[in-house]
Amino acid sequence: MIRNYFLRHAQVFFYTLGQLSRTPVASFLTVAVIGITLALPAGLYVALENVQRLARGWEDNGQISLFLKQDLSDADIEKLSGKIRKLPAVSWVDYISRQAALAEFKKLSGFGDALGSLDRNPLPPVLIVHPAGSHTRPDALQSLLKDLRRYSEVELAQLDLEWVRRLYAMLDLAKQGVLILTAGLAVAVLLIIGNTIRLAVLNRRDEIEIIKLIGGTNTFIRRPFLYSGAIQGFLGAIMAWLLVGLGLLILSGPVHRLASLYGSLFVVENMGFLATLALIGTGGLLGWLGSRLAVGRHLQAIEPR
Amino acid sequence: MIEFTHVFKRFPSGFDALRDINLRIEAGEMAFITGHSGAGKSTLLRLITAIERPTRGEALVNGRNLTKLQRRRIPYFRREIGVVFQDHKLLLDRTVYDNVALPLIVTGADDKEIPKRVRAALEMVGLLDKERMYPVTLSGGEQQRVGIARAVVNKPPLLLADEPTGNLDSKLSDEILDLFLDFHHHGVTVLIATHDPHLIDRARQRVIELNHGELALDSGAVA
Ligand SMILES: Nc1ncnc2c1ncn2[C@@H]1O[C@H](COP(=O)(O)OP(=O)(O)O)[C@@H](O)[C@H]1O
Ligand SMILES: [Mg+2]
Repeated sequence: MIRNYFLRHAQVFFYTLGQLSRTPVASFLTVAVIGITLALPAGLYVALENVQRLARGWEDNGQISLFLKQDLSDADIEKLSGKIRKLPAVSWVDYISRQAALAEFKKLSGFGDALGSLDRNPLPPVLIVHPAGSHTRPDALQSLLKDLRRYSEVELAQLDLEWVRRLYAMLDLAKQGVLILTAGLAVAVLLIIGNTIRLAVLNRRDEIEIIKLIGGTNTFIRRPFLYSGAIQGFLGAIMAWLLVGLGLLILSGPVHRLASLYGSLFVVENMGFLATLALIGTGGLLGWLGSRLAVGRHLQAIEPR
Repeated sequence: MIEFTHVFKRFPSGFDALRDINLRIEAGEMAFITGHSGAGKSTLLRLITAIERPTRGEALVNGRNLTKLQRRRIPYFRREIGVVFQDHKLLLDRTVYDNVALPLIVTGADDKEIPKRVRAALEMVGLLDKERMYPVTLSGGEQQRVGIARAVVNKPPLLLADEPTGNLDSKLSDEILDLFLDFHHHGVTVLIATHDPHLIDRARQRVIELNHGELALDSGAVA
């Protein structure tokens, strides 16, 4: 009995494949439309994942510059630096003395001679605070910044990568956007499949009538259409996966060149195994569901005459 | 097998296609339903196959009450009835073999049984050598015999035919009739709607005549 059941499903599966391959152009068009529709959210997802990965790399450099008051002695600074180093949120602290700051500034700015004529070093001593690895999230950085501002020795505390925080906020927003877009496009896929299956049902109206007359249940009649929808959704998802892969292939060269200009080893990555599985599963499921909705409605209308 | 008591069929248009039909056909009987065009013959058969529902009265077929038969039970109810149509209703994109196998596949028959039973049915109608052919390449009489093979492949206890010889000449009609008589002799209940008097004369079976939706004559069971 069980064996018979699986055999029957396998037969319907191959029969459906045969049917689809008998109208290759129509089948391909449906699969292509589904592929393009799914490639859009999948591609955006991959892009976001990559930007996020890139941002994580920057975030590690999220450091806080403390500009100290001019009149502090080296001993005061040493004491402050010691206190800050002990904070759990801090990994280590660099000290840039006024002299060192001036030297570096001279070197970088090219104003060496002009600065040399100043009778006083205008630059403040600076402590560069490197947060601990566990405190690199924007909110943790923000609270560390607030703590550091409380020290009376500190004139100005500045989060160097404020914009990473903004990027994060934007990424969160973008993720929401992709989610909404995905939902919308999922409905689009349902409609595409639904319409394809609706036409298939109407095309086989006579056959359905005859099968109903000889005692075919709705489940039996539905089955090939459900397979057809699921197969087309599944193939559409694979197409989407290929399209995203192709897009990444085209982009990877330029991205790599751009990254190396900034001395970065960043390379674009395709979606992971689980995401791929989710994409293909979603394709198949949407195909099945779109077909189920369409067949359910149209099968009722077809009764033997 | 079939029992109608005060059955009416009124279409939504308000037209009574059948009026106050009382009828009893026992298992194993053979009967002809006759009458002028539009008398209600097809409607009667469509009630028996649950394509239409009676609007009044009580109709029992194979022990099922047709007015109360649940929609989802209809497929299982129909598996007990073989139906032959005037236009044979074959699937043109499938071979003779596949057409005849269809009822077996629909009912989930054992895969090993299917070829045997399809060939047995094709043999009965004398088309064993045509199983690989497509319906359009067959003559009208052959197409009708494929339809008959499909109707009996499941060995239903009740066989219905609506004008099965309507498109055939008298020689082919006789061959088809002989097939039905054969099934009848094997214990199948056979009900044929026809307005062909030649067929009825030749068969010498029970005749039920309809006239404008009313039962005009019932010769009663033939011994
Ligand atoms: N769906 C329908 N709606 C309205 N009238 C119908 C319908 N089907 C059949 N009729 C009418 O019912 C009458 C009997 O039809 P039918 O049973 O097909 O007659 P027969 O088969 O004896 O020629 C005819 O007058 C026909 O026009
Ligand atoms: Mg008729």
